[in-house]
Amino acid sequence: MELNIYAYKCKRCGHIHYPYKTICKNCGENDHNEFDIVPLPKKGKLLTYTTLYNPPSDYEVPTLALGIVELEGGHRITGQLNIKNPKIGMNVEGKVEVVRKEAYNKHLGMVFYQA
Amino acid sequence: MREVYVAGIGITSFTRLEYPLVEIAAYPGLMALRDSGLKKIDQLYVANMGSGRVNGQTGLASAVVDHLSLTPAGAVTIENGPASGASAIKEGFMAVASGMHDVVMVIGAERMREVNQLEATDFVATLTHPLAEYIYGVTLPSLAGMFARLYMEKYGVTSRHLAMVAVKNHHNAMDNFYAHLHEEITLEGILDSPEASTNNPYVADPLRFYDMCPVSDGGACLILVSADVMKKLNKPMIRLAGIGQATDTHAVHERKDPTYLFAVREAAKKSFAMAGVKPEDVDVAELHDAFTILEIAESEEVGFFKKGEGHIALEKGETKIGGKIPINPSGGLKAKGHPVGATGVGQAHEIVLQLRGEAKKRQVKNAKIGFTCNFGGFGNNVVCLTFIKEK
Ligand SMILES: [Zn+2]
Repeated sequence: MELNIYAYKCKRCGHIHYPYKTICKNCGENDHNEFDIVPLPKKGKLLTYTTLYNPPSDYEVPTLALGIVELEGGHRITGQLNIKNPKIGMNVEGKVEVVRKEAYNKHLGMVFYQA
Repeated sequence: MREVYVAGIGITSFTRLEYPLVEIAAYPGLMALRDSGLKKIDQLYVANMGSGRVNGQTGLASAVVDHLSLTPAGAVTIENGPASGASAIKEGFMAVASGMHDVVMVIGAERMREVNQLEATDFVATLTHPLAEYIYGVTLPSLAGMFARLYMEKYGVTSRHLAMVAVKNHHNAMDNFYAHLHEEITLEGILDSPEASTNNPYVADPLRFYDMCPVSDGGACLILVSADVMKKLNKPMIRLAGIGQATDTHAVHERKDPTYLFAVREAAKKSFAMAGVKPEDVDVAELHDAFTILEIAESEEVGFFKKGEGHIALEKGETKIGGKIPINPSGGLKAKGHPVGATGVGQAHEIVLQLRGEAKKRQVKNAKIGFTCNFGGFGNNVVCLTFIKEK
């Protein structure tokens, strides 16, 4: 089964939110907080990035690369990068993988590779 | 609304302090009482971000009011991330302006060095979006790194410009007894020399070690009073004339243009409008340079320079003491230090000193209008203050 990151599409105006909000940012719909859950696209362009040389203590890696990606359709997402020489504007493709491990918890999130 | 004046100020060194958080909060309170000549207060606000998590202490304001033997005055703790300080000043202002109280003490205090640097960074990172940012390992330095990369690409800001902010603010801090870092640095040492990559390694590229503020302990205090109380004190009439606060999206990636600090722009605009002044009227400013890039970006967003031209003004020396608009004469967060919950009060403390003409060697001449920008989250909650010296 292919894993996805899901966004929240307003049932009234169609505006897509990621992350989730209780009230639609676009139309202010507040009757039922009704959203459809839709998978975010995985392909996009790298908007900006950084390499962190002192990642949080629960990461057992010397460096951690992070970026913001503009996905097809214009939505953006923050994610981890697994790319040798990242460049602003490059084409990337995401996979849903474990991005943080805590004692009893594994968090899934988007990791981007060069497309 | 009634007018609100600053009757007294106090501060600790911003550094590693080896005494309890309650005392870090109480000493500047004591200094401010002495400075004002007041003995009693109606209300205390204590700004703090991390006592529950970092120091294992909650209900901080109740502890501080008792420590200062100011009971039965009201006491409230205010947590609003790194903007806690100016947020508490806003609450203090409203309490006096509304007529509810005549004398309000606002303290900001933080003791972060009780834990190591990684734990401190992780504690601050908890203010990022839990699901869209934090789970990826996003910290404040990483948001600043991504912001800086895009800013440099878009506006032609270079590592040299960032280093110039650090050099300037370290230089200013040399004349500030209370500053965390008393270390004169040069472009040669942190950028050009063969040792520079060792002296100044990458932390969140393109940002390096000297682009980051230190992790500090510290406290600061302002006593805010009504005009009637102020007139009896025979102190310089420094009026808190404008306050603006604005918010932005929690996750940085949701902003239309992630190089814009919309909340800074809005908060500054509101603060200036309330005070009835323009950005070009400001004589001295303390901006929230937790990262060097932020001083440049904020100097544009608050209206001192056009968008994309802050680094050019910096290059020309316009932001030095003696320049057109001196920024961070205290040394800023970069060199004065950043005890998160105390920072906004610390910035106001510096502006009051400057407007009183008590800033000694780092005094900006004839400063009459001062401004602070206290930046919470990564720009998602910002409070700007405008102070005016009256005759
Ligand atoms: Zn909608």
